[in-house]
Amino acid sequence: MASTVIGAGITVEGEITTDEDVVVAGTVRGKLSAKEGVAIEHGATVEADVVSGSLVVAGSLTGNVTAIERVDLQSGARVVGNVKAARVTIADGAQFKGNVDMEV
Amino acid sequence: MAQARTTTAATTRGAVDAREARIGSGARIRGRIQGEGDLVVEGHVEGDLALRGDLTIAEGASIAGDTVEAASVTVAGSLDAEVTATGPVRLAASARVRGNLRGSAVSIEDGARFSGRLDCEFDLPPELGGSSRGEARGRPAARR
Amino acid sequence: MAANGNVSVIGRTTRVRGRITGAVDLEVQGFVDGEVAVAGDVTVDAHGMVGASIQGRRLVVRGAVRGDLLGEESVLLEDGARVVGDVRAPRVAIAPGALVRGFVETGEGERGAARTARVAAAATPARPPAAVVPARAPAAAAPPAPASKPAPKAAPALAVAGGAAGTNHAPHRRPPPPVVPALKKAKGQLAKKRER
Repeated sequence: MASTVIGAGITVEGEITTDEDVVVAGTVRGKLSAKEGVAIEHGATVEADVVSGSLVVAGSLTGNVTAIERVDLQSGARVVGNVKAARVTIADGAQFKGNVDMEV
Repeated sequence: MAQARTTTAATTRGAVDAREARIGSGARIRGRIQGEGDLVVEGHVEGDLALRGDLTIAEGASIAGDTVEAASVTVAGSLDAEVTATGPVRLAASARVRGNLRGSAVSIEDGARFSGRLDCEFDLPPELGGSSRGEARGRPAARR
Repeated sequence: MAANGNVSVIGRTTRVRGRITGAVDLEVQGFVDGEVAVAGDVTVDAHGMVGASIQGRRLVVRGAVRGDLLGEESVLLEDGARVVGDVRAPRVAIAPGALVRGFVETGEGERGAARTARVAAAATPARPPAAVVPARAPAAAAPPAPASKPAPKAAPALAVAGGAAGTNHAPHRRPPPPVVPALKKAKGQLAKKRER
């Protein structure tokens, strides 16, 4: 259950730091750091580096990603940036450009 | 010190010694009002008030002056003055108030009309700067 | 608050350092260290904190704000609210227990007049102020009895909020003088017509 929701139509310019889950359906420009999961929904635009426990992307993300556990790019996702996580999945239909670094 | 001058019946000058005093709706008073007890204003007052007790301004009544001091102030009518209360200041929905309000607590009902400063004493949480009051701790009159 | 899912929530442990804008409702449970300017309603929860000004349609504050509160419709400060900043909205309510240090003004004001003009140009002219009028009718209808000082000063400002005609706003709401397209070619003639 998400505790912070950046709804469609909202634009946040700056840094977001949280201990909770974050769902982004709107626009975030800057930086996003969450202890738990981050979900970038279809239609969302994130232009920021993302640091989180886990990340699911169905929208647009431009920035570097560092996730402790896993990063999942779903169909429809458009990601430009480097991704570093223990596990990474890129679904068919996802667009991705960048480096992937899976540390074990 | 303004002299008390009345255009109709009621007159008030100097100490009002009744426990609860009232300025009736037909009264117009120009001058300074001082009192030890509570005062209910149903008429019209032009001048300063200094009360030890509670001040009530009824709907349809008005006070216009420089300073109004009382233990508490409850306004349902019109008030144009600097207000200083040791206790609460309350504006009812029918109140029309202009001036700076200072009291232990200030409440304004939805529908009241107000223009002026509120100066309650309190601290913000540390994340928002804590007790840095920002403005100098001056008398409201300086900011008028 | 819109129950249609279009509510954004800044959670309790979330800290945003930056601006938040958008056409949505917003609920602040955490800390926003930056300006909030949204088209919808904004609620600052009891534990919420905002370090700059908040602009929105209807603002409800139960937490702490260091900044101005500008409501297009209303601002409500509930018990527990702590606000250092100015508060302006057509309707302002401050509950006992809310603490404020700043300038407070009810009614449309100049900011409201500009907004009213914008809304009038866009769509329905009289609705935003008129929405306030019926509820205020008893207070406004009562004759401004006091012939004492407040009346001359206060009457114009109060009449704006209370009067359906919105006399102060009338100039803004009158349609602009018609421009005759045929005269676009001859600028001189157009200028002459305008001077009339």
